[in-house]
Amino acid sequence: MRRFAGLLFIIVTAGCLLRAASEGSRGTVGATSGKLATANQNLAIIVNLANPIEDVSKVELRKIFLAERTYWPNGRRITLVMRAPGDPERKSVLREICQMNEEEFKNHFLHGLFTGEILVSPKILATPAGVRKFVFNVPGAIGFLRAEDVDATVKVISIDELLPGDKGYTLRLESRSDKQHEQEK
Amino acid sequence: MNRKSNFPRGQKTPTALTDGNGAFWGHLHSGVTLLLFLVFSAMAILGVFVMRDLRVSHADAQKTHAASVERLRQIAEVEHEARETRQLTLYALTTDDSNLQVEYADRTREADHHVTEGILESIQRAKTPQEKEVLERLRRDWSDYISVRNEVLASSLEGSTKEALRRDLEEGVPSFDRIDQDLGEVKRLYSQDDAQGVARAAATSSRLRTGLAVFLGLAVTFAIASILAIQEGKILNARHLTKLQMDFVASVSHELRSPLAVISSAADNIVDGLVEGKEGLHRYGLVIRNQNRRMTELVDQILLFASTADRRNRNVLRPLEVSQIIESVVNSTAELAREQGFVIEQQLEANLPSVVGDVSALSQCLRNLVGNAMKYSGDSRWIGLRASLQDTGEQAGKEVRIIVSDRGIGIDSAELPHIFDPFYRSPNVRAVQIHGTGLGLSLARRIAEAMHGRLTVVSELGAGSAFTLHLPVAAAEPSAVAAVASLANPVMPE
Repeated sequence: MRRFAGLLFIIVTAGCLLRAASEGSRGTVGATSGKLATANQNLAIIVNLANPIEDVSKVELRKIFLAERTYWPNGRRITLVMRAPGDPERKSVLREICQMNEEEFKNHFLHGLFTGEILVSPKILATPAGVRKFVFNVPGAIGFLRAEDVDATVKVISIDELLPGDKGYTLRLESRSDKQHEQEK
Repeated sequence: MNRKSNFPRGQKTPTALTDGNGAFWGHLHSGVTLLLFLVFSAMAILGVFVMRDLRVSHADAQKTHAASVERLRQIAEVEHEARETRQLTLYALTTDDSNLQVEYADRTREADHHVTEGILESIQRAKTPQEKEVLERLRRDWSDYISVRNEVLASSLEGSTKEALRRDLEEGVPSFDRIDQDLGEVKRLYSQDDAQGVARAAATSSRLRTGLAVFLGLAVTFAIASILAIQEGKILNARHLTKLQMDFVASVSHELRSPLAVISSAADNIVDGLVEGKEGLHRYGLVIRNQNRRMTELVDQILLFASTADRRNRNVLRPLEVSQIIESVVNSTAELAREQGFVIEQQLEANLPSVVGDVSALSQCLRNLVGNAMKYSGDSRWIGLRASLQDTGEQAGKEVRIIVSDRGIGIDSAELPHIFDPFYRSPNVRAVQIHGTGLGLSLARRIAEAMHGRLTVVSELGAGSAFTLHLPVAAAEPSAVAAVASLANPVMPE
């Protein structure tokens, strides 16, 4: 009887150890995936390829996004491209660049348009591809995309000399499901 | 004697005539037929070449037309895509929805890419400097328009629709008009080139057709002319044959009638009791016998000619001594020679080899020659009969020559080519009433050739003639040469 109980103990212990090992390895993969996902959550500020600008400070970027600065140094009018309200990228940009929430941003533009301080409201594009194509077609356009959505048709500019992926680059996407992003694409 | 007896059943008289004057017509027919065949062959070959050229010309025309159609299709596609580019740009101006504007911008860029590719491809395919120049201008104008289009699109996407419209009206419209003009010029050039290619092909085809028609016309004309020439030749040949036959019949009738008249007269005299005594009867008997012999010889001659002409007669060739042949001839002509007072001088070379032949045929051949010598000796009463061994001058080696010569009236050189023709009789001998059928020499030559020998003549007018019978020497082994030779395959004179 004792021998049987000892054998049972050994089997149960081995099973528990195997299960723990299995769960541990699954947890490691998930962590790696999350790390990659985090790396891909960087948002890039993009401009037209013809735009000579390479870097912009965070302060300048805020002015651009709030339509307080409307022309590029080369004289081209700045056209702001944004995603629709509620979009995670938009939320992140509003938070990181404009330091506003959606409501505050909306009010800022309503006020500006009403007072005449702002002449054109931002262009709203439904998809990352739309943003990319808009920026490609408009020499003075500026917009934002997830780093993974960037291609050769647009140019990524640095913010305070930091590009997406660089240490200290703060423009990141709030957590959201990849599935939702794929659907948007 | 009727014709049936002259030309036995199965014999084709024109064939016999090909030996003589008829040979001329025979050669003429063969020549015309050969020429006709060659000309038709050449025409057929030329016809094949003309047809091939027609097909090549047609294929070239189709190829040229297909290439032109393809180029026109390509430029039509370019035109369509260019209009699509412009339309989509204008669509982008009609909305303020940025998503739609981006969609239109995307599509207009796609169309513009097709246009650029089409223009570059057309430049590569350009055949003339003029085409290339117009296409290069189109490329430049298209590039200019695209710059304007990009600005218009940018303005539109920026929300400056007014600015976009102003730019499109001021720059886009004139720029696109220039493209329209360029495309029109390209199409005109392509159509012109196509029309020229088709016209060239049509002209070539027309030329070839005309050539073919002329060629066929000439061919048909030549064919008709050739057929008429052949028909005319046949008619002339038939006339010639008829004339020869008529002459022959007249001659034979005369030759038969004369002895018959003499025999009849002699018989009448005997019956009427005008012949007295045994000596008188003997003299009349000799006359009747001689005339009978003459008739018999005449009939034999004709029958022999007919039998050789039907080519079914066969002689047995065997080795013969020349002396045996000469003896046979002399014996058979001795009485006649004696009666007419001829001296036959014989010269036989010693140790003559045997020859191959049929003794009776060879004897007949030489008898004809001796008989002719007697007929045409004039006042001379001398006939030479010589036999000798001679080199042939060929690889075959030696031959025996038996020469029958006389010192008579001789033969005109102009007549020599015809004397061996059947039924031929010299107008001169007709004029001096020397009787004959015109078959003797022809028959002699046929016999000589049937013995694998030949018969030649040398003659001088007023000096005499010498006929030579050339006979091949028999082989060493007598059994080897005792073969049956057939007159079915004699070597006939050309």
